Amino acid sequence: MNRELIKNILFYTIILALQLLIFNQFKLFGFITPFIYLIIFVHYKTTYDKTVLLILGFLIGLIIDLSMQTYGCHTFSTITICYLRGRIEKNSFGVNANLPSAMIKDTPLFSRISFFLSLIAIHSIIYYSLIFFNINLLSTIFLYAFINSIATFIIIWIISRLISNN
Amino acid sequence: MQSIINSIVKNRNLIIYLILSFITFSFLYNNSTLHFNELGKISTYLSATSSKFSSSISSYFNLKKENEKLISENLQLKKMESNYKYTQTKEDTLNSINSAKVIVNSINKSKNIIIIDKGKLDSINLDTGVISSKGVVGIVKNVTNNYASIISLLNTDLRLNAILKNTSTIGSVTWDGLNARILKLNDIPLSSTIKVGDTVVTGGMSFYFPKGIPIGKIINYDNSSLEGYYEIDVEIFNDFSSLSNLYILNRTDNIEIQSLLNE
Repeated sequence: MNRELIKNILFYTIILALQLLIFNQFKLFGFITPFIYLIIFVHYKTTYDKTVLLILGFLIGLIIDLSMQTYGCHTFSTITICYLRGRIEKNSFGVNANLPSAMIKDTPLFSRISFFLSLIAIHSIIYYSLIFFNINLLSTIFLYAFINSIATFIIIWIISRLISNN
Repeated sequence: MQSIINSIVKNRNLIIYLILSFITFSFLYNNSTLHFNELGKISTYLSATSSKFSSSISSYFNLKKENEKLISENLQLKKMESNYKYTQTKEDTLNSINSAKVIVNSINKSKNIIIIDKGKLDSINLDTGVISSKGVVGIVKNVTNNYASIISLLNTDLRLNAILKNTSTIGSVTWDGLNARILKLNDIPLSSTIKVGDTVVTGGMSFYFPKGIPIGKIINYDNSSLEGYYEIDVEIFNDFSSLSNLYILNRTDNIEIQSLLNE
């Protein structure tokens, strides 16, 4: 248990460091910044406590907000996907949702893509809605959210494949 | 208590999510100018809407108080009007006006009586005139400590001195007991010129009412009488079936005039 905890903390730290030091500086087309830290919430095991996930989401979101000066936009998006994660699991995996590590191994590809995309898209839509905070910019919000979700999904998918292969 | 704790434990994730969201939005509101301005606009809109809503509800429940306030204001206006209209030639003829609410009223008898919720303790005196916002109602005939009865205009015993508003032709109005909207104006000689629509007001030659208080308007007249007087139908301005607030006119000179008549 302790070993697993240390492993998880190390994983979260590496991901956060990657986000803060590399991906935050990354501006594809001038505005695309992949949020690879979302991999933490994608890989959070279904057997772990959901309340801990909410607090973890809050702390990670806060760290990202402080580093990007986004004043709580990441935090709110992150705690929202952490809160909704149980429902997204059920929607994506159905009866297999309660199996440990269900999202990574031995699940249909479509379910996995659906789960990854749902989490990332919901996060991006909430994040850009808060960033623009203007109903007149709805099309811009969805455009940014769409492009960013795709970029984030590709990177998270690649990292997930690497982790699962190892 | 146990069920409340169980419910909190069961919904702990939702509660934590709401608390964390609140903290996040506080952070956003206090640090970002854009969000401060936009949330400020939303807050202004919501507070204005809710205030409007609560104000409309409270004003509905305050209707009674508002009504009493309006009656009191109306009373003040009546006093000012009476001081201006009726006491220009003689100061203090009308020394006070009291307001009262109707508690018993009838219009379907030949001798209709109205009872009001004010009496001796409220300075209501016998033989004083009673009006409403639309005109003459009747005369106070009995007073107890807390109540008073009024002989309504719709009482066949009442005969009231009246004149046509724009002439000096004197007559008297009575009720024949048939139609609760129609009075008879008597003693107007055929030599007078009258027309339908003329207003009938109090003549001022009584203890009860000063000159000029509206009674009704002429709706029909017959000049074929052999007695030399018109038979005139007057439609009453007041709707006696829906009387609510009345004003009692207390004249200071009633007792003085009465004592002269008794000598």
